Amino acid sequence: MPSEYMIEVRDLVKVYPSGHRAVAGIDFDIPREGFFGFLGPNGAGKTTTMKILGTLLRKTSGTVTVAGYDVDADPQAIRRSIGFAMQEVGLDDLAKGRDFLQLQGVLYGLSRREARRKADELLELVGLVHVAGQRVGTYSGGMRRRLDLAGALMHDPDILFLDEPTVGLDPQSRIAMWEHLENLNAKGVTILLTTQVMEEADRLCHTIAIIDHGQIVARGSPEALKAEVGGDIVQIALHDIDDAPDEALNERAEELVGLQGYVESIDRAEDGIAITVKNGSAAVPDLVGLLHDNRIPVASLSVARPTLDDVFLKYTGRAIRAEEAAGDGVGKMMRRF
Amino acid sequence: MNTVRATYFIYVRDLKGWLGQPSLVVSSLLPSVFMFLFFGTPLRGMTSMPGFPADDYAAYITGMLIVMAVVMNGADVAFSLLTDMLSGYFDKLLLAPVNRFSMLMGTLLRSGTRTLMQVLVIFALTLALGVNFEGGWLGIVAILALTAVFGTAFACIGLIIALLSRNVQLTQSSQLMFMPLAFLTTGFMPKEFLTGWFKWAVTLNPVDYVLVSIRTIIVYGWEWDSILPGLWVLAATTVTLLIAATWTYNRATA
Repeated sequence: MPSEYMIEVRDLVKVYPSGHRAVAGIDFDIPREGFFGFLGPNGAGKTTTMKILGTLLRKTSGTVTVAGYDVDADPQAIRRSIGFAMQEVGLDDLAKGRDFLQLQGVLYGLSRREARRKADELLELVGLVHVAGQRVGTYSGGMRRRLDLAGALMHDPDILFLDEPTVGLDPQSRIAMWEHLENLNAKGVTILLTTQVMEEADRLCHTIAIIDHGQIVARGSPEALKAEVGGDIVQIALHDIDDAPDEALNERAEELVGLQGYVESIDRAEDGIAITVKNGSAAVPDLVGLLHDNRIPVASLSVARPTLDDVFLKYTGRAIRAEEAAGDGVGKMMRRF
Repeated sequence: MNTVRATYFIYVRDLKGWLGQPSLVVSSLLPSVFMFLFFGTPLRGMTSMPGFPADDYAAYITGMLIVMAVVMNGADVAFSLLTDMLSGYFDKLLLAPVNRFSMLMGTLLRSGTRTLMQVLVIFALTLALGVNFEGGWLGIVAILALTAVFGTAFACIGLIIALLSRNVQLTQSSQLMFMPLAFLTTGFMPKEFLTGWFKWAVTLNPVDYVLVSIRTIIVYGWEWDSILPGLWVLAATTVTLLIAATWTYNRATA
């Protein structure tokens, strides 16, 4: 009976010949049709892990099973089951877009006729029909990414590996790419993605693993991870719209709100109070009603939810962007040797 | 997937990429033409020197032109492989469920095709200028076959350099290593005319033995005593380099 997991990783370790420990013993499983994201800065071990799973790199120790096949015992079977879109988009600049896809198809065992049909179908899907006869070297960054994705889909893989699929894309192309990926996942493709973009992980992934210095420091659904960081913050400005903030009003509101059971803490904000609650959206009607009943004016109200940035900060003690700027890139340089 | 089928598709892809750049095709064929014009005509008088083993200098240096084309082929393979590695396309090929050997062979075959085209241009040029091939048409076919094997051996060197260095500058400077192999030979004048360290270097250079085989077929015809040593050296060198290239390739793509 097939396992319920498409990917099973146990105690995976990768030490490069230089002694750099890129992956330091990680475990994770990805269920069928799952959408799993590795979130972490450059050099955290994301790409190394993905390359080991994709048979591009040999592990030092641990066990890895992809689509039911052991990565050491049956790499060819794994290669047939996966599609891999890379961070350094691996395209043949001298080939024409359609030829590139057709070669991908035949190398995965499609007949020439099937490869031609599939290439046309995917060119349509990723919106590249109009440039299919042009050389890949003339494509823009967004077009290259989409062609790379189409190439990874030529053989209808069960699993898709995406290494930072939206790096370098403009916001519009990024959203279009997200929509492609959501559709693929809805059709049953299991997806493993690495990213440094919090919004991307938040929007797409069912489960996120935060990876830092080769170790998974936290994992869970985006919602669960954010909930672990703390509740939502409801910020209320307490005064009539034309008046200056009133300290007496703030004190009265603090007293009243503090009596509500769902309130975790109250702090002073710039022109009012900041209330931490488990579920901000649910608390808002009650808070507004309470203040209104007690004739305390509300000038403005906002609900701020914790982001994955906060999650990353909590577990690593650093902001991801600062780390990215200092990125060591050792993993990339060390590739196979 | 069938190894032969995969080799064919990778070969066609490589060939299309090369043929799709006419400037590259022309520039790879030009050196042979220049060499022939620069050395063939001005040095023609050499044949009147006592003891020079040929009457027609153009026929004598045709072998050298072929060797040059083959030797520079090593650098060509290194560059084409390196381009794929740096662009990430090499990884893409590694991800496909095809035998690693087909990828290696696809690249080597494309490079072999390039060399054969160069050699055909050399033949066309020399025949047009009235060079008499003592070995006849069979000799031309034999030289083409020799060139294919010889080209594969040099392509292996290029492949090893690219895989080990993964660096454009280093690969570029490796061309300097190929040049002495071509020039430390009896390409322009026979061994009897050489002296000192140069003569020793020529004796140690395996390329010269293959050159002698090729030249013998052109200038003298089927004189097996002069042809055979080159064939043995070529066989041994090619087998050694193929093993070394396969080992390096497997290690690099493991």
